[in-house]
Amino acid sequence: MSLELMKAYFMSSAALYMEEKWCVVLGVNLRDLVPKIQVNLQDLAGKSIAIDAYNALYQFLAIIRQSDGTPLKDRAGRVTSHLSGLLYRTSKLVEMGINVTYVFDGPPPVLKKAVLKRRTKTKVEATIKYEKALAEGRIREARTYAQATSRLKNYMELDSKRLLTLMGIPWIQAPSEGEAQAAYITKKGTTNFCASQDYDSLLFGAPNLIRNLTISGRRKLPRKPVYIDVVPEIIELRSVLTKLGITYEQLVDVGILVGTDYNPEGVKGIGPKTALKLVKEHGGLDELLRKSLKDADFPADPHKIKSTFLHPKVTHDYNIEWHDPDIEGVIDFLCREHDFTDERVRKALENMSAGLKEAKSKTTLDSFL
Amino acid sequence: MTDAKLLRDMFQAIAILIDEATFKLTPDNIQLRAMDPSRVAMIDFLWPKTIFDEYECDQPQKMCVNITEFLKLLRRTAKDEIIELTLNPETARLQISITGHYTRTFNMPTLEPQEEETPTPKITFKATAKTTTEGLRQAIEDAQLVSDHVRIEVDTEKLTLNATGDLMGATITLKKNSDALLDLQTQEPSKATFSLSYLAEIIKAASATSEIATLQFANDMPIQIDFHQPKEGKLTFYLAPRIEVE
Repeated sequence: MSLELMKAYFMSSAALYMEEKWCVVLGVNLRDLVPKIQVNLQDLAGKSIAIDAYNALYQFLAIIRQSDGTPLKDRAGRVTSHLSGLLYRTSKLVEMGINVTYVFDGPPPVLKKAVLKRRTKTKVEATIKYEKALAEGRIREARTYAQATSRLKNYMELDSKRLLTLMGIPWIQAPSEGEAQAAYITKKGTTNFCASQDYDSLLFGAPNLIRNLTISGRRKLPRKPVYIDVVPEIIELRSVLTKLGITYEQLVDVGILVGTDYNPEGVKGIGPKTALKLVKEHGGLDELLRKSLKDADFPADPHKIKSTFLHPKVTHDYNIEWHDPDIEGVIDFLCREHDFTDERVRKALENMSAGLKEAKSKTTLDSFL
Repeated sequence: MTDAKLLRDMFQAIAILIDEATFKLTPDNIQLRAMDPSRVAMIDFLWPKTIFDEYECDQPQKMCVNITEFLKLLRRTAKDEIIELTLNPETARLQISITGHYTRTFNMPTLEPQEEETPTPKITFKATAKTTTEGLRQAIEDAQLVSDHVRIEVDTEKLTLNATGDLMGATITLKKNSDALLDLQTQEPSKATFSLSYLAEIIKAASATSEIATLQFANDMPIQIDFHQPKEGKLTFYLAPRIEVE
């Protein structure tokens, strides 16, 4: 199976490829030192978390599939994998006393055009391979290809927002990148944490990042019928910077050399260790671009990439309020319109309501200091 | 100090709430005040230097240690063994020497101390109850049979614990001037509800260090529990109440 396909696992070719590269940056230097703090969901009780909605929905679309790779569908043939993921994962988090907010992407920055085009190409290729594998009865392979074909269609986003509203969960429409908006509201203190699988959140200045929040306790390894336990982990920007011995701006520089959402390949021939060393030696990307990396090839102007991270388009016009779920409303939507099983949906919502009630009855000492 | 067990019991009580503890070391005493990660409970601890056989500290400083790791070493001590703690400011490591029939010396890293100081809750209490820690522990264990939270009520004559579970209910009464409730001073009848898991763990661990506890209440306010310590030592816990939600 092609390397390309492996990269494409989860949400996009870029994300995993970068995740691997970043793991190396974060991993090599920090494996034992850095602040990948593993946490239990219980430890997050009472905390508020801004979840990168597109990131979560892509995960649901990729993972929630039948064994041959067919996504969940209702009788009318509409995909419902994202709704299933959103309902069960969100209700579980709320049941644990966690206040979640979803942040949806707006139009992508122009910079991203090249990347998006490439992702589309990957998905088209994966779709062809998927159909071929399916026709030839190679079920396990078909499923793997299918996971790389996930596309977030407009109706899925609308469905998701509708479901969240019915569940009483707030969501924010970002003017552009959802991760940037999530980073912004966390920096402002509106939420305690950002959640995404994508390390780019840190480049947007997120003070912290929770990974493995919206996936369940077990994750399938790509291309193997093997499951591993995944637990949420927190990465703190401050600790990353301290351990790497660089500033936030320099981290963005390292990111651009290694590869980001806007230039997934990074600079040819520069791995994470080299990138870190170069940035430390020369001070930053500007200096490098003037000197040793004068001829480096970027799919977009690296200065523009940098400024997109440092000054992303965000809005301060948002409102976060949690409400009790409209249980009958959710059941109407999911069971009548999308053929979910009444009993399971009701159970999830009841547990969620119980969690909400429990959360409301708790106080902290902060209100008495 | 000559009583390693006392040190171990105290650290076990601290470990109930926190993993990393920032101690304030002054020439006169050693202090710790911290909240648990969910900020529901607080520990306020002080040991005067007289608790130790020898205590030396030239200037105030902070020391942060991983309590869980420290406890692993303390669990290796026996009752009448001598324990000596030395903080090396240059290496920022804590040296722990335990001497009984033989001597073993461990050293462990200290951590970045927490900068912010934790204030204590400001509450005007309306009732004060003095109990044996054993009596308190038993009453809490009774309540745990039926529920995960308990309403504590005091009037002028008695202290009552009410627990209501899905199936069963329980009422536990401690009468004034009984073997369990040594004294009760009530300005105003008061009641508040608390998580039993917190109460049980705190009381169980702190009982090892103390036989008498003083509880202070006010309506829907945090409870303050002082576990009496020898020689002006202090071990106080605060626990935030639960509020009734319809």
